[in-house]
Amino acid sequence: MAELDDIIHQPLRLKIMAALNALPATAGLEFARLKKLTGATDGNLGAHIETLAKAGYVSVDKAFVGKKPQTTVTATAAGRGAFARHVATLQEIIAGKQV
Amino acid sequence: MIDSKEASAALADIDDIVQRVKQSQLYELASLAAVWWGVVVFAANLVTWLWPIYAVYAWVAADALGVGGLIALRVLNPPHRHHGAGLDVRLLLVFVLFFALGYLCTNVVGHFGPRQLGAFWPIYFMLFYTLAGLWFGYAFVAIGLGISALTLIGFFYIGEAFPLWMAFVNGGGLILGGLWMRRI
Repeated sequence: MAELDDIIHQPLRLKIMAALNALPATAGLEFARLKKLTGATDGNLGAHIETLAKAGYVSVDKAFVGKKPQTTVTATAAGRGAFARHVATLQEIIAGKQV
Repeated sequence: MIDSKEASAALADIDDIVQRVKQSQLYELASLAAVWWGVVVFAANLVTWLWPIYAVYAWVAADALGVGGLIALRVLNPPHRHHGAGLDVRLLLVFVLFFALGYLCTNVVGHFGPRQLGAFWPIYFMLFYTLAGLWFGYAFVAIGLGISALTLIGFFYIGEAFPLWMAFVNGGGLILGGLWMRRI
């Protein structure tokens, strides 16, 4: 019986992973875009991205575009796999295969 | 463990965010296209106003540059999921049918003068923009209806400066609309 992934299950982290997983494998989202999509605050988003990064589910790249710092977050292969398993478990719960 | 109601809510959240990501990506590409067409249309209207005898050449060049820009945009930003050659052929057909029907209306069924042409093409173009918006997002509808309304105002109430009005309304409107799309 599959288990829900505790790291992904938190609502904001679920949104982050869903957003990143909707992109092609190597594509990422800028921090500002992710903030707009999830409706999170800077601090909250940063903290949850860090949790996902520590779990190896996302990679964080910091670069300068001109003089502006730009942070890009990308789902890793491990993160995509974990997200797919998490979604499958949610679907199993709805189908009544798990109680 | 969570119950099925909570699981459904989580899946709904996922669907919602996936839709938002897709729309955000669509708006990003559409905004580039709108800004490009805006620049081209602004220049063509300006030429029409300043040197009316060169208007025909300006608009042929504008259409070629506009479509060329969209093709370049498509090549530089290939779709994430490959839809096969069929989609590209369909896209090309959309342009061919668009211009063919426009030509039929303005030169065969009717014989439009410069002023009528200056109003017809932007409204015709914006009709497709507005219709696309019914599926792809309210920004297209807002830009389409806004530019159409301002075009009609110019057509009925602006005198000889109508091409200049259209440079700002159609060209400027597309540029501003495109920039606005990036902020949504």
